[in-house]
Amino acid sequence: MMYTRHGPLGGPLRHLMIWLTIAFALFPFLWVLSASFNPTNALVAQGLIPEKASLVHYQELFINPYLPFPRWLWNSVKISGLSAFFVVFLTAFAAYAFSRFRFWGRRSGLLALMLIQMFPTSLAIVAFFLLLMRLGDYLPWLGLNTHAGLILVYMGGVLGFNTWLMKGYFDTIPHELEESAMIDGATPFQAFIRIILPLARPILAVIFILTFIGIYSEFLLASILLTGAEQYTLPVGLKLFITGEYARRWGDFAAASVLGALPIMVLFLLLQGQIISGLTRGALKG
Amino acid sequence: MWKRALMAVLGLAFLGLAGAQAQQAPTLTIWADEVRAPVLQQVATTFTNETGVNVQIELVPFGDIRPKFITSGPTGTPDLIIGPHDWVGELVANGLLEPLALGRLREDFVESALEGFTVGGRLYGLPYATEAIALIYNKDLVPTPPATFDELVSIAKRLTDPEKGQYGFLHNVWGPDPYHSFPYVTAYGGYIFGKDAQGRLNPCDVGLERGAPAYQLLLSLTDQGLVPRATGYGEMASTFEAGKAGMIVTGPWQIKSIRDKGINVGVAKLPLIEGRVPRPFVGAQGFMVNSSGANKPAALTFLFNFIATTGIMVDLFRRDPRPPAFKPALDDSAVRADPTLAVFVASVADGIPMPNIPQMSAVWGAWSDAITQIADKQATPQQALADAVTRIKASLQCPP
Amino acid sequence: MPSPASKRRSSARHKSTGEGIGLTDSLPTSLMIALLFKIIFLSVADSLGVWAAGTLAWQRNWGLLSALLVGLTLLNLALLSRRAYPLRYLLPGLVLFAAMTFYPIVYTINIAFTNYGTGHLMSKEEAISWYERRYYQPEEGETFSFQAFKDEQGQLKLLLTSQKTGRAYLAEGARLLPISLPDPRPSNWRSLSRSELVQALAALQQLELLYGEEDVVRMATLTEFAVFRPQYHYDRAHDLLTDLETGKIYRPIRGTFVSEEGEELLPGFYEYIGLENFYRIFSNPQITGPFLRVFQWTFLWATLSVLLTFALGLTLAIFLNDPYLKARRLYRSLLIIPYAIPGFISILVWAGLLNADFGIVNRILEDLLGLRLPWLNDPFWGKVALLLVNLWLGYPYMMIVSLGALQSIQPELYEAAYVDGASRWQQFRHVTFPILMISVAPLLIGSFAFNFNNFNVIYLLTGGGPPIAGAQTPAGATDILISYTYKLAFAGRQGAEYGFAAAITILIFLIVGTISAINFRLSRRLEKMGEAL
Repeated sequence: MMYTRHGPLGGPLRHLMIWLTIAFALFPFLWVLSASFNPTNALVAQGLIPEKASLVHYQELFINPYLPFPRWLWNSVKISGLSAFFVVFLTAFAAYAFSRFRFWGRRSGLLALMLIQMFPTSLAIVAFFLLLMRLGDYLPWLGLNTHAGLILVYMGGVLGFNTWLMKGYFDTIPHELEESAMIDGATPFQAFIRIILPLARPILAVIFILTFIGIYSEFLLASILLTGAEQYTLPVGLKLFITGEYARRWGDFAAASVLGALPIMVLFLLLQGQIISGLTRGALKG
Repeated sequence: MWKRALMAVLGLAFLGLAGAQAQQAPTLTIWADEVRAPVLQQVATTFTNETGVNVQIELVPFGDIRPKFITSGPTGTPDLIIGPHDWVGELVANGLLEPLALGRLREDFVESALEGFTVGGRLYGLPYATEAIALIYNKDLVPTPPATFDELVSIAKRLTDPEKGQYGFLHNVWGPDPYHSFPYVTAYGGYIFGKDAQGRLNPCDVGLERGAPAYQLLLSLTDQGLVPRATGYGEMASTFEAGKAGMIVTGPWQIKSIRDKGINVGVAKLPLIEGRVPRPFVGAQGFMVNSSGANKPAALTFLFNFIATTGIMVDLFRRDPRPPAFKPALDDSAVRADPTLAVFVASVADGIPMPNIPQMSAVWGAWSDAITQIADKQATPQQALADAVTRIKASLQCPP
Repeated sequence: MPSPASKRRSSARHKSTGEGIGLTDSLPTSLMIALLFKIIFLSVADSLGVWAAGTLAWQRNWGLLSALLVGLTLLNLALLSRRAYPLRYLLPGLVLFAAMTFYPIVYTINIAFTNYGTGHLMSKEEAISWYERRYYQPEEGETFSFQAFKDEQGQLKLLLTSQKTGRAYLAEGARLLPISLPDPRPSNWRSLSRSELVQALAALQQLELLYGEEDVVRMATLTEFAVFRPQYHYDRAHDLLTDLETGKIYRPIRGTFVSEEGEELLPGFYEYIGLENFYRIFSNPQITGPFLRVFQWTFLWATLSVLLTFALGLTLAIFLNDPYLKARRLYRSLLIIPYAIPGFISILVWAGLLNADFGIVNRILEDLLGLRLPWLNDPFWGKVALLLVNLWLGYPYMMIVSLGALQSIQPELYEAAYVDGASRWQQFRHVTFPILMISVAPLLIGSFAFNFNNFNVIYLLTGGGPPIAGAQTPAGATDILISYTYKLAFAGRQGAEYGFAAAITILIFLIVGTISAINFRLSRRLEKMGEAL
């Protein structure tokens, strides 16, 4: 949309709509925040402001040797970060091929990529277990209960949709840019690295964030493939607080959720500039 | 030439590590949840000191132990798990558990706990605790607990004031929570599975319908504004822990948390309903041995010589006050000093072991749905329970 | 300024330049290095691959072997063949995708034709060897204390003393030799230290010594050996399993060992049962009865979820993309909060907030409007609650995607439209939306498929409930296909029936796949409309 300094609806109405959505977004979060300061262990307390606010739940997270929360946080950031990094590169390569080259099986390959990704694999958790177990017989560092193995599983699981998203974005980048570079003697690979990738920064950032968040909150696979509190990711660790048959520690759980949300907020703050950077692209074209 | 050398080096890296773990000292692996792992850590250290065998206690969320064990058990890991007796049916059906021969040790255990871990005449777990629900009350609000259900209702009426968020009696039956509503059902002669001539559970004899008057009774309480429709377990526990409920019904697992909140808590047997004793489900907690584990002798030594001792059983009770299933621990002065113990023990004595056969999975869903329909007045208790029984029998493929 | 349509046309030209690297007479140095690198890489990879293939063939691991060979061929093709040039870009992703997405699908399809499930988790061979390893300790069975030694050659020796008869035995290979004490031999041997004993434990725990006709002596606890008697004997020739303790004979029938009297032995094993799982789906009134109603809601649920989240996400993205909007960095950060908390946590919180009697939502509604809504206990409001929570969970994803996709629109396009006097709505309708759709439409289709099978939200918020009055089936009012079929497959005759669930999963996949394929056609038509702009 052509943005102008003052549109007809540009003023208060737009801000009102945004604030309403923010209220909607924050509503449950505030209750989690409240529960994290509330020494009683109710997840949804009777009032938003706890009668006796305290930091006991936050302290508990850093002193309980059986529930090493800082370790889980680090594991999750590491696994999500590495997976997202590799996924961005793998999808960029695949999407470039799908967008720029014409080859046998391109259309059906693309469609298959999408459709196969739709298969509900929730039943096949056992398959992942067996896969990593066998892999571990040959390459122990990729086997069960290893972060490398989990990263591999995650990467394979998110390639489909992301390739589509990136391919769509590449399609909107004019071909003339690379063509002129190739006339100057660049190989397609060089054109891809030097011209397309920098232009695609917004979508690379988007895919990094989406993949990071998706993996950061994944629970099922991590819970089956990892054993032992030291190896756990955040969601698996968090579940330890609330599945003690009946004695559920909602307060610790809430505090851990609040702190667990921080890496994502930070990541988004850092990368949002990249997402928005596309607007300056017009300058590149003569 | 260099190619071959490189091949050899990389080849070693590729496959060589597989056989590296051949002759290592065995390590006993135990999966426990976060309540029990810390207690086991101490006994594990003692075990390692005395036998030289290492013990690794891995913390696994309670709800994940069973599904993970079904996947991972056949590979030999872990050697031991801790869980409730109702897992046994499914695990035994999959050949995952090793039967235990207790020998003389058997006399030291509470019979109903052993029964819970028994399938087809064989024992598959070493029990350490039993549990059954009872009436839990706030002594500051209810000085003397009711002996009959009518008394309970009149106390509840006196104390309930929803405007102030104050309740006399909260119970999560409409949760829907079949487990917590079972005692009422039994008071009217209802049951889950009947027994055949050999005393085994008969999954095609389902007697839930007889419990219909129980739900009628509970419904009348809700209609009088006493037990709100949307009381879930969380609402019940947190309202009580906030000092805003006079009485609730639940088990020993909640006691520690209630005490931590400074509530002056008392426990009493469930009040008689029309002169009859309500019988709760009896559960047992215990240790189970992986049938594919490579360290069974070590695992059995750990259970028989280290876990089945008064000291560790008392420790487990301190951490999580469910009545010990080990008789010597029941006689321990530290255990006896807990005033809730005698009542929960009596509740267990009144109760009925929760069926451990895999067919129970067909019961919970249908039963829950019936309770919800009763609560929402979509069907009469009689009708809803009859539908549930039909559904259960259909999914168990019983002859009509 | 090229229009999207001309871009598409230009891609045809690109084909001819698809292979940029050619072996011309004089290669630039950079290309020489690239070529050298390629040759070294390929030779290392190939030699490694061939060697690994040899090992796998020796281990008779045919599945992994064929996967390896296919991968190796593709790798060589990618690097050596000009026509397979695009494969260089695709191969790394393709290999991972095949391993991590394709393999689980093959696995699921495979078990759909078996009775895999509770009581049938082992193969027949595994089950038989399981039974052959079952022992029981006879009543008043003999137990032995033991001493372990190292002999002159450093070999492990074991001396067992019966606690019943006092007789001593020496373990020789797999046999027990009676010896009369005092025997001179042990005195020359060195008793194992405790740490040596622990080291030897792995071997001791596996030891089986023949004792009498059928009995074996094995380690029972860390301090004792005991007599064990095999519980079962499997007769390979007649395919019969005999319980040696009771004498009962069991024959395998459909994955279960069954005695003459019809008594079933657990565990059983899995067997291929052909199309039976599929037949069960179509012949079972519990499934066919409520299917249409459940399918309708599933479709509505997935469609509305996508539309609502996309509408909100896109609107916000357009607002937040405005460089003139004040505080937009703050807004963006606050608006992604729902995405920052793992889903299962927020759903649990929502369930608490929406509780009809104790929940905050109803208390606020009562104070403001004087009404209480039966959020999770009513068929209609249950659906509303689900959509509301899913909107909360899902709009940040759409917002981020849209924000990214908006960047691909050249500002010049708007300038042109602006000069032509197009209104904001016209700009959106004719410029923003069509171009956005090129990259976003596939994601919307993907999101539809995701929500079609969005088990978590349904399961954690309403559990598929409330149940339908008088229904003879477990299908609740808010059950979608996947949550309903899981209820059927995991609350049946014998716990979890994975084979049955897999069959249902395949059918659901066919449904989703068909709908998505239709959606693709529609969206392609939509894109063409955009290009014709």
